[in-house]
Amino acid sequence: MNVVTIFILHGLVYAGLLFLVSSGLTLVFGMMNVLNFAHASFYMLAAYFSYSLLTWTGHFWLCLMVCPFLLFVIGAGIERLLLRRVHTLGHVHELLLTFGIAFIISEIVKWVWGTAPLPMEIKGFLDSNVNLLGFVYPTYRLFVLFCSVLIGLLMTFLLLKTRMGIVVRSAVDDSEMVNALGVNTPRVFMFVFALGAALSGFAGVISGPLLSTNTGMATSILVDAFVVIVIGGFGSLIGAVVASLMIGQLQSFGALLFPKFSLALIYLLMAIVLIVKPTGLFGEKK
Amino acid sequence: MQKNLLKPGWIFGLIAFLVLFWLPLVARPHQINLLTEIVIFSLYAVSYNLLLGFGGLLSFGHGMFLGLGAFTTGAMLQRIPGLPFFGAVFLGTLMATLIGLGVGCLLLRHKGSYYALLTLAFNALFYAIAIKWHTVTGGDDGLPIKRPGLHLGFVQLPMSDVTVFYYVTLIVIGCAVLFCWYFTKTAMGKTVLLLRENEERMQFIGYNPAVSRMILFTLTAFFAGLSGSFYALFFKFVGVDAIGIDMTTTALLMTFIGGTKNFFGPVLGAGFYITFQNFLSNITDRWPLFMGILFVLLVLFVPRGLSGLIQSLVDRIRRTKTE
Repeated sequence: MNVVTIFILHGLVYAGLLFLVSSGLTLVFGMMNVLNFAHASFYMLAAYFSYSLLTWTGHFWLCLMVCPFLLFVIGAGIERLLLRRVHTLGHVHELLLTFGIAFIISEIVKWVWGTAPLPMEIKGFLDSNVNLLGFVYPTYRLFVLFCSVLIGLLMTFLLLKTRMGIVVRSAVDDSEMVNALGVNTPRVFMFVFALGAALSGFAGVISGPLLSTNTGMATSILVDAFVVIVIGGFGSLIGAVVASLMIGQLQSFGALLFPKFSLALIYLLMAIVLIVKPTGLFGEKK
Repeated sequence: MQKNLLKPGWIFGLIAFLVLFWLPLVARPHQINLLTEIVIFSLYAVSYNLLLGFGGLLSFGHGMFLGLGAFTTGAMLQRIPGLPFFGAVFLGTLMATLIGLGVGCLLLRHKGSYYALLTLAFNALFYAIAIKWHTVTGGDDGLPIKRPGLHLGFVQLPMSDVTVFYYVTLIVIGCAVLFCWYFTKTAMGKTVLLLRENEERMQFIGYNPAVSRMILFTLTAFFAGLSGSFYALFFKFVGVDAIGIDMTTTALLMTFIGGTKNFFGPVLGAGFYITFQNFLSNITDRWPLFMGILFVLLVLFVPRGLSGLIQSLVDRIRRTKTE
């Protein structure tokens, strides 16, 4: 019983991280039709930034606030200076551009920080265990879960209750019409792209102490996040939530029950969903 | 008019072929090796361009077919003693083709971003298998290979010789590239091209886009597998790099550098990529970074690639001549 609960919690924690990464990805795709290959690179970049900042200052809370902001600026810059230029050339070019950016970011990371995995140690309150209903669980994992739920709720609130959220949601549906109604959609795109980068960056910062900070972290979460948005349906936030939860549990229990085939299970799930419903669980046919 | 357009192309092709045959006579061994690598990757890039340029399908899983060809060739050579040269090539290619057929069947309803993602997922799956299945693939350690000799009935060719291997590669891969070119001229090739342009209309006329896409996918898997077999025999070693996402990236970079609109663009791209990589890696260890920057600059400023650049130069010269 205890083992099962622990693995459910592990799965939830990973689902939280995955949701933070894939929610930005799916929103950007829904709005701009751009499959952003650089999205997970933002995640990796933030993890490395926070490593450096942590070894320099020693304050993890500072990393949590500064790194997402840095990524927000970088994301906005990439959208404004690079992505917008190739917008007229079509989706394939946009995709290739983000692909090239991902390539460059990963090479820069290897250059600056080296290829060896970097351990990130946090001190104080987060580096302890809590007694949770009779068993001991690391506080940090619960903290990760708490953060992702908080951000998820915040995003839902922003999307559903604010004017900005209404604009974003309608731009996901029909960006041309929104533009015609007098909204500066390019600026909304830039904002959403940057916000996605910041969210991904936030996930990167909190994943640092949990998983190891290494040069392969972008690829591994990118593939998982892609699977999430395929299963959930492109552009659907609810889909991202549900699919993240599914993948999280599958990862966790796959590692427990069939350690050799845990990866294959995820693709199997994706294949089944695509055969039953090719647009994903919550995707709409465009 | 048609003849005039064709003639320079044929002459150019003939010259290129003669140059490729003549080069080993004057080049040094390491240059011949470089040339062999270019020839092998030319087929890989050309087969990728059949998907991207002709089919309009962005695949992120092409590396798995090269890897499958390479790993099967390697594993079979290790397991079956006395397996002849072309037996190993045949088995590697067959494996890639069969898997291509299977994956193609699963993919046939999809295109666009879903296609890109699904192929990426399949590539990741095969990469994971290659790492985990230690007994066959050697896992992270890779698979060392002994290159078998080639018996042609009355004569035995020493394949360890750099020049001999180059010529064999040139003939086999060259024929495959020519076949790819021929494929684009066949009815099937035209169907694929037209599907890219207007799928609805093709469906209306009575073509089945799903089946055509599947055939195209299997065909490109076949050619990638063939180049993978030669890749394994050339390096005498197969590592997990051969099947990784980076291998797909290589195809994408080569094809895009060369230009997707021209059939022989990817050949140009492969040549440029490998030469440039060789040149850069002599200067700096950070060559992938410069490759990435070059790629982004190309996407931004030369979206039609090198062949597009040459084409527009030729057009400009022609225009000034007529004026």
